[in-house]
Amino acid sequence: MPLKVIEKRDVEPLIRHLMERFQVVGIKKKDGKNTYGVIESPAELRLDSCATITSPKKYFFPQRETLLQFAVDGSWEPQAVVEAQPRIIFGMRPCDIAATWMLDMAFSEVNADANYLEKRKRALIIGVDCKEPCDEYCFCKSMGTLEVETGYDLFFTAADDTYIVRTGTPEGEALLGEWGKAREALYEDRVKLRAVQREKDERFKEALEFDVEELPRFLEDSYRSLLWDVLGEKCLSCGSCNLVCPTCYCFNVLDEVKLNLSEGERYRVWDSCQLEGFAKVATGENFRERRGDRVRHRFFRKGKYMKEMFGRFGCVGCGRCTRACLVHINPIEVYNQLKGGE
Amino acid sequence: MKPKIAVFEFSSCEGCQLMFANLEAEILEVLGAVEIVNFREIMTEKGDDYQIAFVEGAITQESEIERLKKIREQAKVLVALGACAHLGGVNCMKNYQDQEEVRRYVYKERAEWFDTIPARPLSAVVPVDYAVPGCPIDKKELLEVTKSLLLGKKPSLPDYPVCVECKMAENICVFDKGMTCLGPVTRAGCATICPTFGNKCEGCRGLVDNPNVNSHKQVLQEHGLSVQGILNSFRMFEGYLEVAK
Repeated sequence: MPLKVIEKRDVEPLIRHLMERFQVVGIKKKDGKNTYGVIESPAELRLDSCATITSPKKYFFPQRETLLQFAVDGSWEPQAVVEAQPRIIFGMRPCDIAATWMLDMAFSEVNADANYLEKRKRALIIGVDCKEPCDEYCFCKSMGTLEVETGYDLFFTAADDTYIVRTGTPEGEALLGEWGKAREALYEDRVKLRAVQREKDERFKEALEFDVEELPRFLEDSYRSLLWDVLGEKCLSCGSCNLVCPTCYCFNVLDEVKLNLSEGERYRVWDSCQLEGFAKVATGENFRERRGDRVRHRFFRKGKYMKEMFGRFGCVGCGRCTRACLVHINPIEVYNQLKGGE
Repeated sequence: MKPKIAVFEFSSCEGCQLMFANLEAEILEVLGAVEIVNFREIMTEKGDDYQIAFVEGAITQESEIERLKKIREQAKVLVALGACAHLGGVNCMKNYQDQEEVRRYVYKERAEWFDTIPARPLSAVVPVDYAVPGCPIDKKELLEVTKSLLLGKKPSLPDYPVCVECKMAENICVFDKGMTCLGPVTRAGCATICPTFGNKCEGCRGLVDNPNVNSHKQVLQEHGLSVQGILNSFRMFEGYLEVAK
């Protein structure tokens, strides 16, 4: 795929151009913090900001989403509802691009989920390279998500007054071609890109005290560790870690009937394995009644189960769960303690 | 036949009934589904033939106990409407003060005319079937509970804390703003209205079924609340719980 170059001053016109055909989504400021939101004017987009409260997954898998409409008396066939619109996520970070790959797997490998896949199919992802770590909580380098080779249509890396743009898909290439203001990268641009990448890599430190490939084994060996009880005593079971996680995809399905009591809708809403009711079944039995069991389950999902299922870790090292945790449960510390308890 | 419903109040500000009366957009549809036979705030007729009673307010006088028992006898389903009826609510703050002083402060020279007993939720007096929590109640939740009853379904309240709704709304965490918050242990269902509009959660909807109160207390202390401050925060709405335990 070709390498292109865009002048930084041309980014605003590019966004304006894209806004004519797409809903453009990117990182915006909210009360001093960052969130992904719909860009109303190009100046709002903050390509240099990161560490958003929640991840951009909400554009493929919204917090609440209608799945079907039905008649209470069954007088008409339930109607499936699938909503999607042309959308560009401009400025997705490497960790979130890696997380999107994970969601793609989750929503297509076992069951093809039309609601997710339709939104995903109609969206283009323009990634932006990080320059430095968000804060002390992110550990993408250790999780192998500081660099992504795929998962984007275009990928921007800032270098002096330009963005050097990797094209990841024909759709991405067509987007630039049709705009017409990106030039082909020259030899000097390639040299510059490598220099920027090298400098960037030096700024990110390894947070884990071991090779992450060993994580599944450390987890397996620690299944009965007291660590889970200790964390369980601290954990508020508030679900924040799951809700801000870019790879969590669990949801609950509920029905809501209209006031006329004759029709209604079935919807799904984000769920969390840390909530007490998550593993409760109709008989009243709860498979993970203890908080410590629920905490352990989350770490096993991220560090072992998803790796076994999909070949990559469920944790991308974005640090959102740590930032959101009022009792300071931090995966870097948890994983390093697992190693210590070997 | 449409189910007959009645709305009653005890010691309260009547704000939850007002939320009921303020359904506005939905009121005609509600009236299509139920017959309201007794609702002092919106009508003069007073029927005693009803199946569902929505009851607002805490119990703070002996005379209220008898009245509530009569309502319970008549109603097939009794729903506590709002924090006072559900938890005892702010009324229970008086339980931590000298009862005589409180009586004189409120009723002044006519204090003798009014008996007063420690405030309590409806469930301390009669069995309560369901609750629409909150101070005030959430209109949408009132409609959900009503619809469930009409459909013969058991109304269910969320058993997860306000944090869930806050994260979904992408609110800045109240603790990150330098305040303290009862959201981590408080039952959600309010669409996190207070944090969304810049306040903290005061816990008006009661606690989740199994809150980690010890860990939450440590969080409150870490963010500067003294032991007395923590007690005061919880006593605003959960005061009865503490006495009852």
